[in-house]
Amino acid sequence: MLKYTITKEEYTVKVTLNGDLDIEGTELINDKLIPSLLTAKVVEVSLEQVPFVDSTGMGLLMNLVNTLKDSSITITISHVREDVFEVFELLQLPEIFGKEVFV
Amino acid sequence: MFKRELSYLNNENNEVVKKTLEREIKVAQKIQMKLLNGPNPEVENGEISGVSIPARLIGGDYYDFYMLPNGKLRIVIGDVMGKGIPAAMLMILTRGAFRSASESTQGPGETLTAMNQAIYSDLRILGSFVTVLCADWDPNKATLTYASAGHNLPLIVCSEVEINEAPKIKGVMLGGLPNTSYQDNTLSLNDEDLVFFYTDGITEAQNPDGEMYKIDRLREALLDNYYAEVQEIEDSIVNAIDEFTESLDQKDDITMVLLKVKNGDTKVASYTSPVINS
Repeated sequence: MLKYTITKEEYTVKVTLNGDLDIEGTELINDKLIPSLLTAKVVEVSLEQVPFVDSTGMGLLMNLVNTLKDSSITITISHVREDVFEVFELLQLPEIFGKEVFV
Repeated sequence: MFKRELSYLNNENNEVVKKTLEREIKVAQKIQMKLLNGPNPEVENGEISGVSIPARLIGGDYYDFYMLPNGKLRIVIGDVMGKGIPAAMLMILTRGAFRSASESTQGPGETLTAMNQAIYSDLRILGSFVTVLCADWDPNKATLTYASAGHNLPLIVCSEVEINEAPKIKGVMLGGLPNTSYQDNTLSLNDEDLVFFYTDGITEAQNPDGEMYKIDRLREALLDNYYAEVQEIEDSIVNAIDEFTESLDQKDDITMVLLKVKNGDTKVASYTSPVINS
């Protein structure tokens, strides 16, 4: 089951996701995490503890990135595991999100 | 119509509402299965087969065939983001885009470009995307031309000991970027080569311990069944996954399309060539 922890600094919010990012994380990401980030200026998301992302998880990530970008919030995604990043590359997420998102 | 909706909304009998929903889901399932698992086309110099097993009552995976006027067969396999009814609705949208694009486009890359143009804005509004692999099988030249919109590349089984992934080709998933164009790549196939198209529901199928089936097991199962007919190979792969998962309900749909080159002329030539050379 997906969980997250949030650390808030002055303008930056650090989010660490923990667990598989799939359909079971839908409500957590869309209804809880995203609304809680909308007042931030910079959001840093770590996927270090995310071993697996399926197509629904990709959609959740897209929704997270697009919603924050639409609200003029800078978002970065870091510590993506190698096998997860291979799937991101297959889908060309760096091209879709902008290469600056992945750090 | 208004009265029907009103009476439906005011109906306090949960059992009736539940039965109505169940009935509608069953009808939707029937429609989808009819559209999806249609008869396999008969192709020259090849055998083809496909199957899609939804993880829920209704799935979001998709495959389809389209016979082109020039004798080629266009094959498409896709995976809609999400699961269940929402994904199934988008699957139907994808199917329509594929069918209409196939009528007016030259190759797989052009088909994906036209499909993305047709459904990009709908997918963006809905916050969804579709990965698709499109390929043209030319039975006369024994070539496979393919393009990918963020989908797994097919596996090519050449013998009982040789299996390769088709050479890499990049392409953004449908709904990812507007006005994207997709490139083609072409492979020459030999007699008895097997091309295996699939969705990630196969490699991500899980057993009760949470372990995934993964690509290595799939490769092994394909090599083990290389000499079989396509229908037998398909059945063997389905059984192998079922055995691995111990029939556990899966999170994702499982879909595969198999194409085996069956060129009778090539076979005869290979038998006679040693005689000619001597």
